[in-house]
Amino acid sequence: MSKSIRQRIAEELTGPALPFVAFCIALNLTAGQVTAALKIPLYLDSIGTILVAVLVGPWAAVLCGSTANLLAAAFGNPTMMFFIPVVAVIGAFTGVVAKLGWFRKWYLVCLGGILQGILAAMVSAPISAYLFSGVMMAGTDFLVLYFRSLGNTLMNSVLYQGLASDPADKLVSYLIVFLLVRNLPQRLLARLHGAANLRTPDPTP
Amino acid sequence: MLPWAYQAFLCVLVITARFAIPQLRPQSERSSKAFSRFLLYSVAVATFVILLNSMLIRGGATMGSILGFSLYEEGLFFGVRTASRLLLLTYAVLLFFVSTPLKELIRFLQQKGLSPSFTLILLLTLHFLDHLPARIHQIFLAQQARGAPVDAGIVSRSRALLSILSPLVLSSIVESIDRGTALELRGFLNRPQDARLITQPTAERNALTIILLAGTIILLLATLSRWLLG
Repeated sequence: MSKSIRQRIAEELTGPALPFVAFCIALNLTAGQVTAALKIPLYLDSIGTILVAVLVGPWAAVLCGSTANLLAAAFGNPTMMFFIPVVAVIGAFTGVVAKLGWFRKWYLVCLGGILQGILAAMVSAPISAYLFSGVMMAGTDFLVLYFRSLGNTLMNSVLYQGLASDPADKLVSYLIVFLLVRNLPQRLLARLHGAANLRTPDPTP
Repeated sequence: MLPWAYQAFLCVLVITARFAIPQLRPQSERSSKAFSRFLLYSVAVATFVILLNSMLIRGGATMGSILGFSLYEEGLFFGVRTASRLLLLTYAVLLFFVSTPLKELIRFLQQKGLSPSFTLILLLTLHFLDHLPARIHQIFLAQQARGAPVDAGIVSRSRALLSILSPLVLSSIVESIDRGTALELRGFLNRPQDARLITQPTAERNALTIILLAGTIILLLATLSRWLLG
């Protein structure tokens, strides 16, 4: 018998996973502080969601991303609330990719990051175009205006902007998570569900 | 879509509501400042959006020029429509959150049936949000003292990013395991239905709030039906 979404989330959110998801939500909201301190031009606003997807599971990652966006709206960035479907897709896709074992090899991580970026651009484009007419109060708005001034439709301009910036951002986020989890002690990882996603399966029966 | 004039009117209404309706006033000094800051920021962004669109989207009559750049009618109207919609959406969401203390909202939702696990996640997130900036700063200073290249070129700084994130994630996993064990020992995940003696008071209704809500619902339905019927 198939399980309900609630049951699947409950299965993933046991023991240390509960506080870890809370930490990752907070990390999504504060990672910008680290990049700002180091003057690195990256958002990394989905790094917590990717970490949860790899170390806990896809359902917990969807919950993590959605809650982070909801709280971002509460803390003064209301536009984030409308992008919950995008972070839900990021969480679900990364969770599936991690379960397939893509986080064991660096080249599969790169491929996953690029695919994730394309998927995120495709999901966010209609929201950005129809709700906000492509204006997100960010530096990428210049790209939308540039594509628009070239004679593209609004929807296409937003999609091109997403395709130009999202794959790079997600690729970097994926690589950072890959390097982070690779350096974590196995003893600690074993306490989280997703540890199996990182271990090479034993060929002996 | 609503015409831009309606959207602009609704924006003014939302801002007026923040000052006129006692229940919609910011609940803390922090949220009051956040609202005022966002108000100023959004006005600047709206002006910027209108000007850029007027310059870049060429169509219709020329409405004037700024610094040698011509402003076009089609771009101007598109910019005004975009800016007013953006402001309306963001003000409405922001007004809800600045007038509702998060901890009270979480407690209220739990009373209405929100899962205790999710409530715990939300409360723990607020705890982490209070402590994480200090922890990040502490790790940053420690790595700087150890000679991490936090002021070098972009590649070295990117490497320094990992040296900050690694201890942060590691310490969080250790803390999560400790907290998770404590929760399991207390039987958090197997506990029966909560029984509370304290009930959360619901907000008082007033005539203006009801009129505003009813007006918004009517406008929404009218827009939706117009959109569906073509």
